[in-house]
Amino acid sequence: MRRFAATLAAALVAGSVPALAQDKPADIGMGVFTFTSGPAAAYGMPGRNAAELMIEQINADGGIGGVPIKPTYVDEAQGGEGVVSEFRRLAEDPEMDVMVAALSSGNCMALAPVADQLQMPMVTWNCDTHQLFLNETHDYVFRPNSSTIPEFVAYAAYLSATDPEATRIAIINPDYAFGHDAAQIFTGAMKAFNPDVEVVAELFPKLGTASFNTEISRIAAARPDVIFSNLWGGDLENFIRQASARGLFRNSKVILALGESVLQRTDLPDGVIVGVLGDGWWMSPDAQANEETKAFVAAYKEKFGEYPVFPAMKMANTILAVKAAYEKAIEASDGWPTRDDLRDALEGLQVDNLTGSVTIREDHDGLVDQVVGVTEPTDDYDFPIIGEMARYPAEKITPPVGEDPMAWIGTLSPDFVSSLPAPGSYK
Amino acid sequence: MRFALHAALVAAFALVPLAAPWLGFVFTLVLAKGLAALGVAILLRAGLISIGHAAFYALGAYAVAAMSENAVSDLVLQLIAATLVSALAGALIGLFLVRYRGIFFAMLNLAVSMVFYTLLSKMYHLTGGTDGLRVDTPTVFGAVIDRDTLEPILLYGGLALVIVVGLAVHRYLKSPMGEALPAVETNEIRLEYLGIAVPRVLLSAYTLSAALAGLGGGVHALLVGHVVPDLAYWTTSGQLVLVAVLGGIGGVVGPFVGSFFLEIVRSFAVIYVADTWNLIVGAGLLVVIFFLPVGLYGLLDRAVRRSAK
Repeated sequence: MRRFAATLAAALVAGSVPALAQDKPADIGMGVFTFTSGPAAAYGMPGRNAAELMIEQINADGGIGGVPIKPTYVDEAQGGEGVVSEFRRLAEDPEMDVMVAALSSGNCMALAPVADQLQMPMVTWNCDTHQLFLNETHDYVFRPNSSTIPEFVAYAAYLSATDPEATRIAIINPDYAFGHDAAQIFTGAMKAFNPDVEVVAELFPKLGTASFNTEISRIAAARPDVIFSNLWGGDLENFIRQASARGLFRNSKVILALGESVLQRTDLPDGVIVGVLGDGWWMSPDAQANEETKAFVAAYKEKFGEYPVFPAMKMANTILAVKAAYEKAIEASDGWPTRDDLRDALEGLQVDNLTGSVTIREDHDGLVDQVVGVTEPTDDYDFPIIGEMARYPAEKITPPVGEDPMAWIGTLSPDFVSSLPAPGSYK
Repeated sequence: MRFALHAALVAAFALVPLAAPWLGFVFTLVLAKGLAALGVAILLRAGLISIGHAAFYALGAYAVAAMSENAVSDLVLQLIAATLVSALAGALIGLFLVRYRGIFFAMLNLAVSMVFYTLLSKMYHLTGGTDGLRVDTPTVFGAVIDRDTLEPILLYGGLALVIVVGLAVHRYLKSPMGEALPAVETNEIRLEYLGIAVPRVLLSAYTLSAALAGLGGGVHALLVGHVVPDLAYWTTSGQLVLVAVLGGIGGVVGPFVGSFFLEIVRSFAVIYVADTWNLIVGAGLLVVIFFLPVGLYGLLDRAVRRSAK
């Protein structure tokens, strides 16, 4: 209504402006979907904080093409049908222009067909599942982030490069799709790199487990060379406290896929392989070389009291991708871009962000590098940082468009690891 | 007079989504959950609280998803299958459960539904785990439609379906089998002495209530286009009981009124107080439970009768 009134007013003033011309709107409506309550908020709130800060900064700089962003936050904890119903309500509002959604893979998969149906550009900020674009095309859905395949192949590659003798692996992942997918991908890649690899324990504790003592005993009894885990949030913190106390980290090599998100909160020993599911680490060489990133990190620390963990960087990068798409769309269209213009601009978008860059390829999946390293002490901070990093180029560890991801992993060979950058090479 | 009230409710229900299309989605959800709550309400008449009926709701939804995956794409077939599968499961599970009363009945239902929930989350290759399964847009009597056509079909077709089902359930409740239900609660032994087989009465009620929940679940699956194991989680079951009590278990309309109230409060709480929406929903429920012992529909009904005098 407001936009209509603005158009009308402009038409009256200018006299000759046709009523159909796309004038600049008062603001860009952006729906931001993340968990702000419940256990998943441990991951969702850093995302929301980063969105708030990023949008504040963009608006302070005059917005996108002179138009400020007006965010509407939606809590994903209300359940699948609630999230879909909110998405639909927002999409019906002509002042809503783009959705940044969502955190949970299940929600993403429920929202994607709705985005297509309502012709609403949806840019995912997390949605790691490789199933999102598997056998499905979504005209209006874009993922300028990485997915489970490159993420967990990267850990297998890093481990194989640093510890080629490691063959006995134990897995402890959360008991839902993300945990099971990761176990399958990691095991598949490990076996491709070294046929002698065997899984000696595979445990899936349920989300929100308070005591991991049974799991820890079983892992300890299996005497693995490597323990792989993609636990996260409060579960990961609990697991680390209990496992360290029982010496689990001394006897095996440990990989914590989402370990960066708890570096500031727990006492992780040195030498644990951790990563950020993508390249979104605020202290990576690329990030530190970027003045904009440093300013963002400082502002984040100032506002929220801790440094931005990788979900925050992911969200910030995603909003930058939306901004870049808008700028591309503004250049391409005469007048203010419509939702469809924005959709077209997202196609094949290439953008530099706070921690590296992302390319959206023709299946709308993002190509994002993977940063993996090990925990090491530092004098500059009172928590460990990531050292001995490798930055794996996205094109090498992401399956080609249209290829079945698990079959692709099966084609990998031991030579694949040696063709990748060595651990410690990313300085 | 009561007919006028029902007609007014139906008319309002049919007209409002025309003004705000997003409400069409919420209203269809109201119908789907209302059907399941009606199933719960039938058992409540016999004093049996099922905190596990979401299992049948989810079963109906997954039946639709499974058919959609296996290229049986007709909406009518899918809904019939959802109803039959749930009815069959209800009959089988009911065989065991109708022997229990009170807290044991409630807990056993809960147990069965949580086993089912766990199966849905863990049988990864069949159910897609927690990521769930996609439900494609169905055909209607063989005609290929798009989602924009499906939604009004689900809303208005669903409304018609609810009216037909509601009338049938109303007849059932007035039949000897239906009238026996409250008698089970008041004096089960007397019923046996009168020569009425209580297990048979309860088994038929349980099967019917499971079928209703399955039908609701089927509509839910078609509407949302995606099913997840959370549909079978105990909180969903709790919600169904709550909705039934909220609306009032006296008649057929109550559960739908309750379902409407809960969905609307939730939707608007999410819109206007995004950060504390669960608090608002909880407070809304407390108000109804404390001050409206006969449920929302009882309140409406009383108001209408008073004005008629």
